[in-house]
Amino acid sequence: MRAALPTVPSLHSEWIKIRSLRGTLGGLIAVLAATAGIQALTAAAIGQAEEGSMGSDPLFAAYYGISFGQIAAMVFGAGAVSSEFHNGALRTSLAAVPNRTRFYLSKIATVGVLALLTGQVTGLATFVAGQAFMGQYALELGDPGTYRAVVGSGLYLTLMALFAAGLTAVLRSGTVVLSLLIPFVLLVSFVVGEAAGGAAQFLPDRAGQLVVHSRMEGDLGPWTGLGVMALWAGAAVLGGWLAVRRRDA
Amino acid sequence: MNSIEIRELTKAYGSHRAVDGLTFDVLPGRVTGFLGPNGAGKSTTMRLLLGLDRATSGTATIGGRRYLDLPDPLHRVGALLDAQSAHGGRTARDHLLFLAAAGRMPVRRVDEVLEQTGIASVARRRIKSFSLGMRQRLGIAAALLGDPGVLLLDEPTNGLDPEGIIWIRELMRGLAAEGRSVLVSSHLMSETSAFADHLVVLGKGKLLADTSMAEFIDARSTRRVRLRTSDPIRLRVALAREGFELAAADDGRWTVEGIRAEQLGNLAAREGIPVLELSDERASLEQAYLDLTADHAQFTATH
Ligand SMILES: Nc1ncnc2c1ncn2[C@@H]1O[C@H](COP(=O)(O)OP(=O)(O)OP(=O)(O)O)[C@@H](O)[C@H]1O
Ligand SMILES: [Mg+2]
Repeated sequence: MRAALPTVPSLHSEWIKIRSLRGTLGGLIAVLAATAGIQALTAAAIGQAEEGSMGSDPLFAAYYGISFGQIAAMVFGAGAVSSEFHNGALRTSLAAVPNRTRFYLSKIATVGVLALLTGQVTGLATFVAGQAFMGQYALELGDPGTYRAVVGSGLYLTLMALFAAGLTAVLRSGTVVLSLLIPFVLLVSFVVGEAAGGAAQFLPDRAGQLVVHSRMEGDLGPWTGLGVMALWAGAAVLGGWLAVRRRDA
Repeated sequence: MNSIEIRELTKAYGSHRAVDGLTFDVLPGRVTGFLGPNGAGKSTTMRLLLGLDRATSGTATIGGRRYLDLPDPLHRVGALLDAQSAHGGRTARDHLLFLAAAGRMPVRRVDEVLEQTGIASVARRRIKSFSLGMRQRLGIAAALLGDPGVLLLDEPTNGLDPEGIIWIRELMRGLAAEGRSVLVSSHLMSETSAFADHLVVLGKGKLLADTSMAEFIDARSTRRVRLRTSDPIRLRVALAREGFELAAADDGRWTVEGIRAEQLGNLAAREGIPVLELSDERASLEQAYLDLTADHAQFTATH
């Protein structure tokens, strides 16, 4: 197993692959731009209209933009993996790093680290930029749950990127993965999720977003919710590993 | 160390055997031409060698080791699989840069192979804007990057202009002369005979021939001379004594089967028979190759 861990050259190679494609690099930048940008714009527009104008849970309201940022995170994660299925790119990649476990772990690690760095910057930027427009209703860093939300939102975005990356390795198509996941988080989860509790609270986005909530309505807490999301992402990454190991390139 | 060993290699896709019990070696110091009709299994053999596809049974090794077990694969084996094995959204330089990074090679090496393959001027353009020949050159650049001792080139002349074909021919001969193993697939015997020292021919996944180029030419082409003479009657008698037969060709010339020009010239001189024109005639190589694979072509046009 030790022999299959990522090496400095294999990680370096994956970083070059990600930064050299507009789609993947753009997705990464969009995580920050969409989450913090939409947060700031919305707060500026309606934040001071009345108390609770952005939602009854002020902490979750401070992360309104994450609904959009998570889509960018998916685009980034799916894109980083699906680029290998473009033409015969995977063959060239595996000729360079023939150990498939090493190849896959290097890619997942690179996606994870980049998403984590971007996610943490995003978590803080979203809070600061959003609250700057909230006037008298603004939260301050240090208010209950705020530190958890800043760190947790970044972790949530990272897990979403990994979830999409793993699924793409299983299904071998970013388009398929995004056309499943985007409607899912935008519609299905909104609709089903309104009926809090039940099985719906264990859906990846529902459970994961608890980390930016101040009130918990179901059985999960903020960190256990994020833990459930991590299980989803872990299962997808594991499935991707099995697929990459088994299939002909 | 730089040889390739294929042993009892079989690859089945469902019930169809793309490669069927293949055994042959590719030795260093020479160019080995890898021939066979469409679907014969050439590309599959190369993918199996690189561990991209999994063999159903048998082994394919480089210097006795599986590609997967090579500590420094890009420095041992350079492969051009097909011209499309690159993401179109990347620039040529970025494509080579990530390979170089994986193989711990300096950036300088990337610029060297870009120069060597003649695509330095388009290195910062996206690959999707490349012509087939430019992609092919990029693929060759990638294969050369690690300065490997073994080269696998799947139809490298595909899409190259005549100048490019001559260049790659010289390149392959040069690489072999330096003691490397070079395996090159092609569909054309005439093209292959211009650079290969050795031949491996496949048909429907099976080995049809594994022979030196010279032996193939000797064994596969029948000897025949073509001549003009002012005294066919005496020549016919003289030839008959030696067991040869003079046959009239349609253009007023004569042909004799199974003899070389040198042999016939000597005979005519001994007998004092005037011979006005004399030349060896070989059944064309291409024809010999087509005869060999005729029963093994999977896809043939019906007329
Ligand atoms: N991934 C695959 N799935 C199913 N069949 C395959 C696959 N790859 C190759 N084959 C089949 O294996 C056979 C050998 O194909 P291969 O590409 O190795 O031939 P080739 O000698 O390279 O042909 P060409 O000269 O046309 O390049 C063909 O019948 C092909 O249809
Ligand atoms: Mg082929």
